[in-house]
Amino acid sequence: MEEVFVPAVGMAMDNAVLLEWQKEPGDQVNAGDVIAIIETDKTTMEITCETSGTLGRHRYTPNSEVPAGNTITVVLGAGESE
Amino acid sequence: MMSNDKDWKRKLLRDMVVIRTFEETADKLTLRGKVAGGMHNSSGQEAVAVGVMSALDPKDVIATTHRSHHHTIAKGMDPKIVMAELFAKSTGCSKGRGASMHLADVDNGNFGGNGIVGAGVGIAMGAAMGIKQLGHKKVAVGFVGDGGMNTGRTWEAINMAVINKLPFICLVDNNQYAVETFIDRVTGGRDIAKRGEGFGLPSFTIDGQDVLEVHRYTKEARDRALRGEGPTLINALTYRYYGHNGGEKGQYRTQEEIADWRNNRDPIDRFSAQLIQEGIISQDEFIALQTEVTAQINAAVEFAEQSPYPDLSTIYEDVDSGLLGARS
Repeated sequence: MEEVFVPAVGMAMDNAVLLEWQKEPGDQVNAGDVIAIIETDKTTMEITCETSGTLGRHRYTPNSEVPAGNTITVVLGAGESE
Repeated sequence: MMSNDKDWKRKLLRDMVVIRTFEETADKLTLRGKVAGGMHNSSGQEAVAVGVMSALDPKDVIATTHRSHHHTIAKGMDPKIVMAELFAKSTGCSKGRGASMHLADVDNGNFGGNGIVGAGVGIAMGAAMGIKQLGHKKVAVGFVGDGGMNTGRTWEAINMAVINKLPFICLVDNNQYAVETFIDRVTGGRDIAKRGEGFGLPSFTIDGQDVLEVHRYTKEARDRALRGEGPTLINALTYRYYGHNGGEKGQYRTQEEIADWRNNRDPIDRFSAQLIQEGIISQDEFIALQTEVTAQINAAVEFAEQSPYPDLSTIYEDVDSGLLGARS
């Protein structure tokens, strides 16, 4: 299981806003797929996954604040559950 | 140097694996928001740090740069103390005040990293001046990146070292990129060692991915300094595998270039293959070493996680030398 999270980038990033989801729970995703778009204090960023599998539940709703480093969803491998 | 050559080489390999494992681990924690103020990953540059330190005496002085984890660990600081400092915890080497860019251990000759490009050269040159004044038998090494070799104060310090014949080594940890700028685009004449020759000191461009070559040139430079023959400039060509800072989405170099350095010139791959071929370490022993180091670094993370942040009541401590009187 891969945790997809909002990375802390730069020197002093505290929060990001989750702008929109690009994948839905239960979707089959491939490594490198864009899962969500976030906005930091400097830019918008694509959040991608590193593994292939089934997307887990959305842990944040669009337009909500996500603390840097927090997991927003997971990619489940075969037979895995949240 | 250890009396037993095989043990010594095994230690060089282990030190490089410790640094790589530390950096790979710390990088992930940085992305998770655990590292205050971010970090600069030195993965790929291990042979420069370990090669230099293996040629120094513990009492020799170093001053380093914003990218300093590899220098600091190779100089002998326990990785758990480094990790605690990255986490800004009170058990870190700077009591959690400095984080990644202010790793120092003055009692053991590490005059620290800093956030000013090229400043380590001036700090180490000053230390070398003190060493000469006091008549001590030791040397000072100033680390600097390729970007720092295009700043004025760096060459001012080198000139001072030359005219005063100081026991000083300017060590260019040349990873070829100043943040996102490739060295050839911004370095007049393109050859840092030739610049050094112009300033009148022996200057060498060497393979920074070969730990024994770095050791050999550093040892010769140290011997020259101790004989009173003045400073040396060593331009060690190396490469960083990650971005300038954690989480960087760099578009300024190709994946092929990064893969070429990783796959064909990696300092740990090269040295481990050499030691396996020479029968100094077996493949199984190398895997066991990596497992053991991973456990050590995981324990360092655990130590950092469990350590307390500095107490607010200590906020005025270490602001001055104490001569101005205690504040509360």
